[in-house]
Amino acid sequence: MTLLNRKMAALGIAAMMTVVPLAGCGSSDNNNGVSASPGASSASPSTSPSSGASASPSASPSDSGSAAPGASQTKLTGDFEIQYFVGGYGDKWWKKVIADFKAANPDLNVIEDGGPKINDQNKPRWIGGNPPDFVYIDGPNLNDRQMVEDGQLEDLTDWLQTATNIDGDKILDILAQAPQKYDGKIYNIPLVLNSWGIFWDKALFKEKGWQEPTNFDEFMQVSETIKAAGITPFIHTGKYPYYINGAFLYPAIVSNNNDDYTILQDMAANKIDAYKSPAVLAALNQIVQMRDKGFIDKASIQINHTDSQMLFLQHKDAFIPNGLWLPNEMAKDVPQGFDFGFIPSITQKAGGKVVANTSTATVAIAKKAKNPEAAKAFLQFIFSKAQASQWAELSGAPSNIKGDISSSSAPSFVKDAAKYLTDPNTVVIPTITFNADVDKAMQDATDALTIGKITPEEWVKRVTDVVAKVQ
Amino acid sequence: MKARNQNWQRGVFIGTFIVPTFVFFCIFTIYPVVQALYYSLFDWSGMSEHKTFIGLGNFRDMFRDPIVWRAIGNDYFLVAGKIVGIMLIATFFAVALTRFRFRLAGFFRSIFFIPNVISVVVIGVLWNFIYNPQIGFLNAFLSLFTKEQVTITWLGFTSHTIWMLLPPAVWAGIGFYMILMIAAIQNVPESFYEAAEMEGAGQWHQFTRITVPLIWEQMKVSIINIMMTTLNGSFVIVWIMTEGGPDNTTQVMGSYLYQMAFRQYHFGFAAAIGVLILVLSLVTTVALQRLLRHETVELG
Repeated sequence: MTLLNRKMAALGIAAMMTVVPLAGCGSSDNNNGVSASPGASSASPSTSPSSGASASPSASPSDSGSAAPGASQTKLTGDFEIQYFVGGYGDKWWKKVIADFKAANPDLNVIEDGGPKINDQNKPRWIGGNPPDFVYIDGPNLNDRQMVEDGQLEDLTDWLQTATNIDGDKILDILAQAPQKYDGKIYNIPLVLNSWGIFWDKALFKEKGWQEPTNFDEFMQVSETIKAAGITPFIHTGKYPYYINGAFLYPAIVSNNNDDYTILQDMAANKIDAYKSPAVLAALNQIVQMRDKGFIDKASIQINHTDSQMLFLQHKDAFIPNGLWLPNEMAKDVPQGFDFGFIPSITQKAGGKVVANTSTATVAIAKKAKNPEAAKAFLQFIFSKAQASQWAELSGAPSNIKGDISSSSAPSFVKDAAKYLTDPNTVVIPTITFNADVDKAMQDATDALTIGKITPEEWVKRVTDVVAKVQ
Repeated sequence: MKARNQNWQRGVFIGTFIVPTFVFFCIFTIYPVVQALYYSLFDWSGMSEHKTFIGLGNFRDMFRDPIVWRAIGNDYFLVAGKIVGIMLIATFFAVALTRFRFRLAGFFRSIFFIPNVISVVVIGVLWNFIYNPQIGFLNAFLSLFTKEQVTITWLGFTSHTIWMLLPPAVWAGIGFYMILMIAAIQNVPESFYEAAEMEGAGQWHQFTRITVPLIWEQMKVSIINIMMTTLNGSFVIVWIMTEGGPDNTTQVMGSYLYQMAFRQYHFGFAAAIGVLILVLSLVTTVALQRLLRHETVELG
């Protein structure tokens, strides 16, 4: 072999060696774990209603806001960037409303950042101080309270006092649930109006002659009958205890507090006294009553939402705490003849008001938005009555804009729910986000309570300890 | 002149091998580790533009957090359980498949290796079904022997639920270490065993006097490897099966790190847990190596 040949061979091997390590890059070491973002998608079931609404887009006659008066006094120009998470509600509505907004503002360059992973994808930009102008806060790894605490959202308090939508209606007046206040300030506006609640199968109840409950006493009575018939009365999602907290515990606390939901707002504001209220203990004791009578399916503690929902659909269990997205989410698995019965709360006394704990997703403007004018105009555009029907049709969930959707082609259970939530006899709890540490502590404690590991007093002790630390 | 040139060429040649590797090692290992150390000194939500320097505050909080201690305990429980479980079973299978000559040995070798080909995520989901109290295999199987339907919530005990994660973890690990042991045993010259047999040594004697001493190096490597992969990787099976629940009974350091960083927005604290994992892995590796030091037996 000549020297040249040998050189070439060596060069070839060397070149190969430079490539081989590249191939190994995919499995970079995660000793420190911090930079590793595990592939296991952290399913956030609260936001996983599958959009099955097969409404034909653009069915609504008055959907283009272009003709609206006073749409934009000043011509909007430049770039306008919108970040929206695509989850259970899908992206049909976003595509439609953005197209309409573009049509109304031809000189504006609207950039869409949409997708199921967008929250993670755009994270570096929020950290780096270069966020999109407008954000839809939904899905995993995006928490409105945290964003407020991190100072990333624009203070909308003053603007909202006078802001009107493109039709000239005051935005605050047409919202079904008021925005959450952080130290008296508003940073984000709820776009969706969904509700937690208790479900059952009306068909099964009719067949067995069971009475559909409207209060806690009736619930406990019928559960006794159900148990005697060999069916477990109540199943919940122990792996994600925010289901039972959202659909059972929080409404119970409000019912026990004479229907005054400010107690939950005080709890969210980390006021320890609120947690020590007798209403909290009374609500926890309602869980204990259920537990001690053996009404809670023992399987609950270890299963996720899909498993608990399957068992419910298979009639292994009669009641399930869940959200209004349930029928859509399980659309493919709902047995023939299954007829969803729903009540927002089951813990009220006989004759007491129904309490609806809302579940929502909000929209906000970035504090460092480069085009805040366009972002505000977009808010005025989407919070209009025309969009109420359009949202309900395209996302399969009730919109947070008051408006009669009975004539729209939204799914019938969405219309029913909307009716429930706008009923003057329903106590509607406006959207509340707890501090993440407190929320986790309450979830863990509720789980422990349902399996008899702790008492209600210990629940309060545990949670107030965390609240004290968070303060 | 010529010699120098050759030396230089040799340097370049070696450099092309080492430099890229070193660069990648720095980018993908050293840099993240340093970065984690840096973040662990800050109070940072992971999303905010602003970080507050708090020195060792995260570490102080960490050692006061009972869940961290439980996570450490659970991690070492899994380490101990997996080492004992995997080593016993893998060694037994390896010996059985090499020393007890029987047909179908190749078939069983493949069968036992299958769990290693399956992703840990799939294993987690699979065992979730096995453990499911209502429709799970385990309760259905136990119900064959009882009058009443068995409804044990395998992943929902008030404490010690971590025990339930041991069988899937062991099951998933056996195949790989079995192959390592088989390779090691096949390297032991057949004549040793023949000689032992002629002297009247039984299978057990042969195993303890010949096999174990001669494959000790591989066993040591296996034990240390199980320890390291468990401390760093137990996250996956925990997250898939229980997410650390119920009530944090199955929390391990990795899962708590994830929970803190991405669910509770304490990125700095999570980075501190990452540093803890690194330190514990290093310390345990050194300790185990000392513990397992043994006269290396040379092939005669």
